[in-house]
Amino acid sequence: MTAHAIAYCFDEALASLWRQRVSVALSVLTIAAALLVLGGFLLVTVNLDRAVSRWSAAAEFSVYLHDDISSEQRVALNSLLDRHPAVASREYVSKADAAVRFRRDFPDLAAGLADLAQNPLPASIEVRLNPAKADGAALEAFARQLMRTGGVADVRFDRRWLERLASIASGVRWTGWTLGAVLLVASILTVATVVRLALHARRDEVEIMQLMGAPIGLLRGPLVVEGLLQGGAGALVALVALYAGYVVLRGRFFAVLGPAFESAAGFLPFGPSALIVLVGMGVGCAGGYLAARHVR
Amino acid sequence: MYGRGIYALRDVSLVVEKGEFVFLTGPSGAGKSTLLRLLLRQELATEGSVRVAGRDLAKLTPGQAQAYRRAVGFVFQDFKLIPTKSVLDNVGLVPRVLGATSVQQQRRTFQVLKWLGLQHRMNAYPLELSGGEQQRVAIARALVNEPALILADEPTGNLDPDLSLEIMNLFRDINARGTTVLVATHNRDLMRHVGRRAITLDHGHVVEAS
Repeated sequence: MTAHAIAYCFDEALASLWRQRVSVALSVLTIAAALLVLGGFLLVTVNLDRAVSRWSAAAEFSVYLHDDISSEQRVALNSLLDRHPAVASREYVSKADAAVRFRRDFPDLAAGLADLAQNPLPASIEVRLNPAKADGAALEAFARQLMRTGGVADVRFDRRWLERLASIASGVRWTGWTLGAVLLVASILTVATVVRLALHARRDEVEIMQLMGAPIGLLRGPLVVEGLLQGGAGALVALVALYAGYVVLRGRFFAVLGPAFESAAGFLPFGPSALIVLVGMGVGCAGGYLAARHVR
Repeated sequence: MYGRGIYALRDVSLVVEKGEFVFLTGPSGAGKSTLLRLLLRQELATEGSVRVAGRDLAKLTPGQAQAYRRAVGFVFQDFKLIPTKSVLDNVGLVPRVLGATSVQQQRRTFQVLKWLGLQHRMNAYPLELSGGEQQRVAIARALVNEPALILADEPTGNLDPDLSLEIMNLFRDINARGTTVLVATHNRDLMRHVGRRAITLDHGHVVEAS
């Protein structure tokens, strides 16, 4: 196709879009709604992935100790921890330190702790992990080994709930793709209908162009471009709406989810945003082509 | 042949020589327009063959068929102009879009419009023109690619007698330059005025070939 032909296709498409701007606006909004759903799910999963990644980097074991742990058992436990490649550092938290932390973190409950004859909080060792070497299955096995070690009352492992969170993120992602795919098919059909209406309005012109010997590409081109522009516009509307929604939610709800989530959260990066625009244009193209197939 | 055994044209065997001016005449429904549609490859013959310059039109691919149409000029009774395009665009749109050299194409378009007395109307839109002017624009469009063959289906059907005569004189001038012209009409006065070979059709058959 020559540059003249491409310019002609865009000129004709823009003129046609303007001529039937009301139905085009509805079509753009339909595409925008579909992409908003898809983008919304994408935004949620991207942020969940970010949070999981951030929390994974800060993941740690908490190894709670029996009050009557012997010094030999402490030495053996420390030795076991120091030999493991995934262990980056360890910190001993005594019963007294645990009480101080409790009073600091839960001041409303601090009085209750003071009323008790004995400090019920156990001593523990907080083990910080090296994320690069923290293989999930190996750590699970290590946690079980620690549980069997003398003097250990319990082992809390952050990774378990992080994996559950990652699994939820995956579920959300697939739900989003499925729902988005259904809505995108509906969008393709909407665009095809609007472009067919445009084709119907221009049928005399198309017939004359055919008689003038215009190649099939020149007859179908404006219709495909019409779809492409509708899809692109729908994607941009979806991105703007998504960003507006993100700003509102960030102000109202992100703080509730904790500072770690708040600091990790952000809008869609360039890649997924560009993907939304490309998907929108692809949907529009497909709709335009469906309508253009009627020109033979 | 149309469906259910109805023939639009039957046993038609015609040869039109290069550079000829031929009238197709006959009553409404005789098959004049069908014959022109076959020649423009808007329809394909269900039996027999239609050959132009030695090429069987039925054997053209869609791309070749469009290229063939670009080499044939056509003029219709209802002008078939694009109302949203200016006279200039109606005449030169397809060659320009297909990448004909811009200056060369503009010169050719202007020459044709000037020859047809439309140079002062080239920025007007079809609905701003009189019927005679619209038909001259359609003729300009047919001529702009310098076709070897021009097909005209009742080109004066919507025009008054004076304008009809003017248009027919234009076709005679075009033919004088070497272009083969086929005009379908049932206006016998105009045929007499031009005085060329006439083929009379009736019920899809050639009944007279003078």
